[in-house]
Amino acid sequence: MSDTVIMPRPQAHPLAGRTMTGAQMIVQVIADEGVSAIFGYSGGAILPTYDAVSLHNEAQRLAGGREVPLIVPANEQGAGFMAAGYARSSGRVGVAIVTSGPGATNTVTPIRDSMADSVPIVVICGQVPTAAIGSDAFQEAPVASIMGSVAKHVFLVTDPTKLEATVRTAFEIARTGRPGPVVIDVPKDVQNWQGEFRGEGTLPIPGYRRRMDDSSACALDEAGAARFFDLLGASRRPLIYAGGGVTNGSAAGALREFARAFDLPVVTTLMGIGAMDTTDPLCMRMLGMHGAAFANYAVEDCDFLITVGARFDDRVAGVPQRFAAKARAIAHLDIDRAEINKVKRVQWSHVGPLREALAALTAAGRRLGARTDNAAWRAELAELRRVHAMNYDRESPLIQPYYVIEEIARLTHGEAIVSTGVGQHQMWAAQYCEFREPRLWLTSGSMGTMGFGLPAAIGAQVANPDRLVIDIDGDASVRMNIGELETATTYGLPVKVVVLNNFGDGMVKQWQKLFFKGRLSASDKSLHKKDFVRAAQADGFEYAVRLDRKADVPRVVREFLEFRGPAFLEVIIDPDAGVYPMVGPGQSYDKMITGDFIAARSAPPPDAVAPDSSEMF
Amino acid sequence: MRHIIAILLQNEAGALTRVAGLFSTRGYNIESLTVAATDDPTVSRITLVTRGSDAVLQQIANQLLKLIDVVGVEDLTDGEHIERELVLLKLRLEPGESDAVRGYVVRAGGRVLDPSPEGFVVELTASEAEVSAFIAELGRGRDTFEVVRSGALGVSRAGRNLRLVR
Repeated sequence: MSDTVIMPRPQAHPLAGRTMTGAQMIVQVIADEGVSAIFGYSGGAILPTYDAVSLHNEAQRLAGGREVPLIVPANEQGAGFMAAGYARSSGRVGVAIVTSGPGATNTVTPIRDSMADSVPIVVICGQVPTAAIGSDAFQEAPVASIMGSVAKHVFLVTDPTKLEATVRTAFEIARTGRPGPVVIDVPKDVQNWQGEFRGEGTLPIPGYRRRMDDSSACALDEAGAARFFDLLGASRRPLIYAGGGVTNGSAAGALREFARAFDLPVVTTLMGIGAMDTTDPLCMRMLGMHGAAFANYAVEDCDFLITVGARFDDRVAGVPQRFAAKARAIAHLDIDRAEINKVKRVQWSHVGPLREALAALTAAGRRLGARTDNAAWRAELAELRRVHAMNYDRESPLIQPYYVIEEIARLTHGEAIVSTGVGQHQMWAAQYCEFREPRLWLTSGSMGTMGFGLPAAIGAQVANPDRLVIDIDGDASVRMNIGELETATTYGLPVKVVVLNNFGDGMVKQWQKLFFKGRLSASDKSLHKKDFVRAAQADGFEYAVRLDRKADVPRVVREFLEFRGPAFLEVIIDPDAGVYPMVGPGQSYDKMITGDFIAARSAPPPDAVAPDSSEMF
Repeated sequence: MRHIIAILLQNEAGALTRVAGLFSTRGYNIESLTVAATDDPTVSRITLVTRGSDAVLQQIANQLLKLIDVVGVEDLTDGEHIERELVLLKLRLEPGESDAVRGYVVRAGGRVLDPSPEGFVVELTASEAEVSAFIAELGRGRDTFEVVRSGALGVSRAGRNLRLVR
């Protein structure tokens, strides 16, 4: 038959049939997966694997092949966040290798963080020898139980003949469907075991694979698309609400095409920043608790909300039943069926890969001759944007954090990778930075892990050696993993670390002022002795500067960003600078306060019933 | 509303913990849970009784299907199904009571497994409600040493089969 395709036999792995140790198999599979660096810290139970990494790299060096360099952090939490920064910025699976017990438990935070933000990483933990498991051995921790509740999946390898297939399967699970972290717990005797390397094969995971196949086969059908365009046709104020799923699903291009094809404005979640080019006129920036006022007004005004890879999280929909209250219909596209109707009931939904779904919708809309112009609505939004623009006290003699970030944005043209810690500086960066592309904005969205910024920036720089990578951090957040300053200089990674110092936990202070009568319990650090510049110098930063005069901001920010090599900049900012707008926790958008420098549409109505203090989180 | 959920699960280390952990971390309750291997040695079957609204049950099913080693999930309560529970009861009988108790047990469809009065052991397999009534009846005015219930087991009637197809 003429249409018979003869499939070429897949070439056997060049090392198939070779006798290897378990540790060598781990490293070989990691190399086969195209991983360009491993982040991790050695220790007793993982020594065989570290030895195998070193042997692998030596052999590669001799053969002129590709090495897999090891990046050693100060703390295993750093390794986990470096792997996550690598994955978030590149879309490839990040890898961390740590030892048993404390090495493994130190990665719990980045693993949970990666789960909550759907980031594909594989963490390999050494474990005490099989015979010692359960005996309270030295550096033993119940990794399978601990990680089972925070990771996408965890394997405890007790049968060494399954080790090779397990490592390969871990990569598959990490990157498919809704991505996430996978942990492999490998007892030391399994690493030392010798057997035949097969060079192929995965574990049977029939339920998961069938669901993945069903999901990718679940094309958007004609009837579904027609119903979607009926809803769109009936609406006058349609709005796309895009989340991190767009970036994770490599669907930013498809989203942009869809939005432009039907003239649909887009608000993004914190995780969705960059999915839409922030400089695009259709981009209405971030919504939610600290979203732009005009973005939140757009949500309040819209009559059809098109949710793409977002999940009505409490920072976006503090009161789900009053979120987008004027929307006569809500649509929801997601890779994860469990997100549909979890928080907010929707009238139209599609479960499947977003890139394909959005492309199918765009094609269907063109075929159906859907409306391609929302001029009246776009004009309303342009006016909201003009009247309720982001703003701050530009006359203040103190350095305003927004000003520093605006300067960074002006000089980097939306092309730099920016990571952050968690708190006020994170929100300011989300509000004032520009991102032309996805995967440039790296932030701990769901877990909100202080200390994320510096190691994530290091991981991103390893994955993107030629990009400008900036960690916009806070004085409290950067302390959490400040040991990683040394990692940046040790490996000559030219990350730019800017610490916006307001002498304390700024966001905590903001809440204490709002909800605890200004009692700054445990959040003020103005009497602390820390000298950040000397700390950076001690860790080998040749550029380490303190900026405390407003007039110096443009010059210093420029020389900091242009410095060749790792650079550290501490900026003494107005300690009373707040994050506005703000929708209080557990409140709806009509209660948004905009501060002194952003115009509000109307004064927020007085609270009939103040939310219970335990609902405010 | 009460639901019986059947879950096919790959026989992997920690798989059962992950199912149980999902219920505790997401705040769903478990009224009973039984688990045993099937004819396929790589697959176990869990039968789990829980309570919740339709929305909660939908979430439970969707969240279960995100666990890697879950092969399949069926809410048996969605359709025609058969439900059985096994109970073993150990009682102390007064002298001369044995025949009357034996008579009740047999009429109820149970069996006497050990007739010794200091540890009279009976068995019944029936619906959860019948098992509860049986325990109440036999416990009335009498020392009950041990009550051992299996938790509900269930299977759907003809037409639907929860099975790993290879």
